[in-house]
Amino acid sequence: MRASVNRPPTPDVGDTQEKQPTLEEIINIKFIESGEKERLMELLRERLIECGWKDEMKALCRAFVKKKGRNNVTVDDLVHLITPKGRASIPDSIKAELLQRIRTFLVSAAL
Amino acid sequence: MSGFNEDNKASHAQLSSQFFGDLLDSIIVDVASECHRIARLGLDRNLEEEEEELRLSAQARVRVADPSNSGESNSKYVVDIFGQTHPPVANEIFDCMNCGRSIMAGRFAPHLEKCMGKGRKARLKVTRSSTAVQNRYSQGSPVSTYSPYSNSTNTSRLSNGTSGVAGEEYSNGTFQEP
Repeated sequence: MRASVNRPPTPDVGDTQEKQPTLEEIINIKFIESGEKERLMELLRERLIECGWKDEMKALCRAFVKKKGRNNVTVDDLVHLITPKGRASIPDSIKAELLQRIRTFLVSAAL
Repeated sequence: MSGFNEDNKASHAQLSSQFFGDLLDSIIVDVASECHRIARLGLDRNLEEEEEELRLSAQARVRVADPSNSGESNSKYVVDIFGQTHPPVANEIFDCMNCGRSIMAGRFAPHLEKCMGKGRKARLKVTRSSTAVQNRYSQGSPVSTYSPYSNSTNTSRLSNGTSGVAGEEYSNGTFQEP
């Protein structure tokens, strides 16, 4: 018998991806499927506009664009510019409200 | 059971924070994308026009401060902000609508003064026949006191003066017409 016949089967690429989905992934799927993620996004967007957070971020971007020249700016630049300040300047009340809703959903989804 | 609950809460809290962070990141990317679009399409409140204006005003300031442009040598040919020069006296010629003469634009105002009656000689000009008749007879005649009103351009006397003048004019006219 030739050695090639007894060769072990090539490992299937699909095998490695059939592991159990992480808890995060499960939650994400549940949020999306129920439509709760969409609702929460809209709620957060609305709150951030109301409190002026979005205007602050836009002002930061505008200053950056003015400095760099409007044709030399990439989306990546702006994302890296806004992210640290953006995350830090979220008002506590808004954060608390959103976290509360997320937790409620987690509980209701029996996770 | 309680231990399980506490673990659950802790993991819930962590999961919530994580999920909140994801939501926030998505929104941040949206805002960045929007600002990027506005920047690249030039939709933002005339960002460049302001810079252009700043540059032009800086240039103008330099030109004004520059000594070679001012006073003595170039007094006749000062350059304005559009780079044009103008002669010191406006030299376009047109016809005076009062007397019909050809007048140079730069001399129009003094001409009008004489032509329309500020000066002494203007009052003797013939503009309307009734006033002309009145004026010719006004020198030395008893009605001479009224003659200043007829050609007066003094607006403070207008309300009483014009009606008075009209009355006086006509009365003088009728009076003087033999």
